[in-house]
Amino acid sequence: MAADAKSLLNGRKTAHVETEAEELRKEHLMLDPMPRDEMNDMVMEAMTTTTKTYWVWVIGFGIAVAVLLFGAWGYMIATGMGVAGIRRPIYWGIFIVTFVFWIGISHAGTFVSAILRVFKAEFRRPFTRAAELMTTFGLAAGAIYPLVHLGRVWVFYWMIPYPNARWLWPNFRSALEWDLLAITTYLLSSTIYLFLPLIPDLAMARDRSTGIRHFFYKTFALGWRGTEAEWTRLRKAIGIFAFAIIPVMFSVHTIVSWDFAVGQVAGWHSTIFGPYFIIGAILSGVSAVVTILYVLRKTLKNMDYFIRLEHFDGLGKLILIFSMAWAYFFFNEYLLSWYGGEAAVKQVLTLHATGPTAWVWYLMLICNVAIPWLFLWNKKVRRTPWLMFIITLLVNVGMYAERYTIIPLTLGHQRSPFDWGIYNPTIVEVSIALGTLCLFIFLYLLASRAIPLVPVWEVQEGQMAHSIRKVGKTEVPSVTELE
Amino acid sequence: MAELLKEQEETQKWGMVIDMDICSGCQACVTACSMENNVPFVGEDEMAYGRGLQWMRIRRYWEGEYPEVTPTHQPMLCQQCGSAPCEPVCPTFASVHSQEEQINVQVYNRCIGTRYCANNCPFSARVFNWFDYETPAPMNSYLNPDVSVRRRGIMEKCTFCVQRIVHGRQQAAAEGREVEDGDIVPACAQACPTDAIVFGDLSDPESKVSKMSRSDRAFKELEELGTQPKVIYLKGGKSYGG
Amino acid sequence: MDTSIRLILFKEDQINQASDAIETLHNQGIHDKDISVISGVPFTEKMLGRPMAWTRVPLIAISGAVVGFIIASLLNFLTPNLYKMYVGGMPLTPIPTSIVVTFELTMLGLLIATFLGVFVEMISPSYGPKGYHPKISDGYIGILFSCPAHIEEKTCLELQDLGAEMVDPEEVKQP
Repeated sequence: MAADAKSLLNGRKTAHVETEAEELRKEHLMLDPMPRDEMNDMVMEAMTTTTKTYWVWVIGFGIAVAVLLFGAWGYMIATGMGVAGIRRPIYWGIFIVTFVFWIGISHAGTFVSAILRVFKAEFRRPFTRAAELMTTFGLAAGAIYPLVHLGRVWVFYWMIPYPNARWLWPNFRSALEWDLLAITTYLLSSTIYLFLPLIPDLAMARDRSTGIRHFFYKTFALGWRGTEAEWTRLRKAIGIFAFAIIPVMFSVHTIVSWDFAVGQVAGWHSTIFGPYFIIGAILSGVSAVVTILYVLRKTLKNMDYFIRLEHFDGLGKLILIFSMAWAYFFFNEYLLSWYGGEAAVKQVLTLHATGPTAWVWYLMLICNVAIPWLFLWNKKVRRTPWLMFIITLLVNVGMYAERYTIIPLTLGHQRSPFDWGIYNPTIVEVSIALGTLCLFIFLYLLASRAIPLVPVWEVQEGQMAHSIRKVGKTEVPSVTELE
Repeated sequence: MAELLKEQEETQKWGMVIDMDICSGCQACVTACSMENNVPFVGEDEMAYGRGLQWMRIRRYWEGEYPEVTPTHQPMLCQQCGSAPCEPVCPTFASVHSQEEQINVQVYNRCIGTRYCANNCPFSARVFNWFDYETPAPMNSYLNPDVSVRRRGIMEKCTFCVQRIVHGRQQAAAEGREVEDGDIVPACAQACPTDAIVFGDLSDPESKVSKMSRSDRAFKELEELGTQPKVIYLKGGKSYGG
Repeated sequence: MDTSIRLILFKEDQINQASDAIETLHNQGIHDKDISVISGVPFTEKMLGRPMAWTRVPLIAISGAVVGFIIASLLNFLTPNLYKMYVGGMPLTPIPTSIVVTFELTMLGLLIATFLGVFVEMISPSYGPKGYHPKISDGYIGILFSCPAHIEEKTCLELQDLGAEMVDPEEVKQP
């Protein structure tokens, strides 16, 4: 009788333990290992499956890029900047707004990939590449704007420092020159940072493809075999990059903020602009990662295995934290500008909050503060992908509104009331802005079928380091430091 | 810093005094400036949209409550700042400081049209060529050969009629004498029917412009920004201009 | 002396057996330079009891940073003196603004050199036995070794005892 009771108890206990471990496995990708060949096949399948709908989207976005971006831009080059809505005193309009927006988006990849890598946040593993792609394409979309907004784009190369017949070197005291250097540095380094961890995955794809794809992967895999020396130098290089690219990322958005902060324009000349912009950039970037992950999960095959609710949950927490940090910086900037009491600055602040375009300012506060704070504390919301999709889209709408407030709305209301003006974007400007959005989506669509979007070796490495460990009466995930 | 500022103040040369109390707002200076400097006409619509290519503008402010209103006219042009906010922000040195004339020059050939300088000018004194503007006949025959014609996509602004400054200096040198006060007159000052605009050498304490600049009514626009403008406005307690 | 290049495979969770296999090879008198380990996920050399692989990537990276720094310094302090232009009451070569340029170009040099280091090392000839098998990217740990003919059979038997999967030498080729 006693023995029976004991075995019964034991049986119940093991059954209970099993479900606990199962739950852990369901929750965490790292605890739910799958044989590497199956994972490879899943990623290869996701990469090579192209439906008719996919090609319709690709062609659609391709045409949109050609017409909206290059068509409108070409028209503007041929006619003059006047086809944009800018006028005195608002010399920068939504070209610069969208430029700052894209540079902000591009902070996502580095943040997710480098900072989370340095701090060994394990949940980053499956989506580092998706985020790095955003960085590269976001920068590609953003880097177009410094060209688009030039009055004489055909001589843009006069900004580049090289010995020339004019005997003239660029002005290294100009924030725009810093922009050129910083964006070049960031674009090159983020592209390399995307490429380095991709090499082993390209080798994987090389082993399982034929024809043109095989040629492409073989070329770019650089003859990767996976020897110890290759892994060692890859690890060293990724290590250098992960640490070095973080200050580069900070410098890029700081310099973008300096485009404004070095000016004497009331409302721009603020010492807190650097960190304020960085936080805003990370907020919008991480939000965009969630948006993209939702779309990838919906449209790419086998992605529900790699992208799980835990990732939406984790990123949702980050967004909440960065929304709070953004609010802190915003308030800091606002309070001290207001307290300073400079008449022109006060006028600008009053205009933002009560002027005819005050809705932009309130939209910013609602989307960047109210919505994340109201919803993201809730675990259920963070684990509902479609809700996260909507929230993160709204956060980016709010961030766009923030840049819009800072640039044209501030420029329009400067020190001399005689020169006050308002600005309405024209169809050409809106078309170019939408065109770069299409360019981003177009590049992403192509890349999603051209390169393995999940870093399989990193996922496997993570899964090998994770195990479920029994502590007392429960089972918990445990991580082994393999590196 | 104070020494540096003082040194810059001391070396400054060309300056302008505009007496707002006798300015009638007639816009003759605006017209003369456009003629002298080959400034194109942008047409009514563009002008109304805020894209007028005027190097000199008359800012008109109304004072008082309707119907007891009096206008104040402030001719606004590039203030030729000694420490100009527009200069360091230009990536291609299109906006630079002339050491010789101590004015702020715009080199059209170098300009790539970032419009950063225009944003950073607290006086909104810079104008941008939004399009290529055609000069209607017969005005196209009136173009001043001393001033280059600008094309679309570049910034331009008042130069204190630098071509006249150079001409005056060369003339004086040819006649073997120093440049005298009143030798050099920019187009706006020449055209002003009330002589509200006076131009001259600020480093010479005896010049007319220096004397006027020491008037009790003298002030500099947005002086608190520390840009060291070289245009001095005169304005008493009451507006007489209207 | 006749040698042939053999490849043995272990599953990814057989890391202990793989390290034992390397020890076996050592016991058979095969030196580390005649052994290459290839794998689909990184393993540290310590896990496998192998000498540390060397790489010059950090050195190349530092050299790149130095080059970037020098270029930045030239741009900051030389070019303004070639054609003197004064702007906004600033000195010709101000230190604060030069720091921005120096930082960006130093980082650019560092990061590009890191990549070039990886690239050059990847395409340069490597030591150790050559060969590859597509199963590596399926997560297998492969041990390539050049084996003298007279001990080949004995070694292979010992390795098979450890659970190694022997690959037909015909299939071992470069990717």
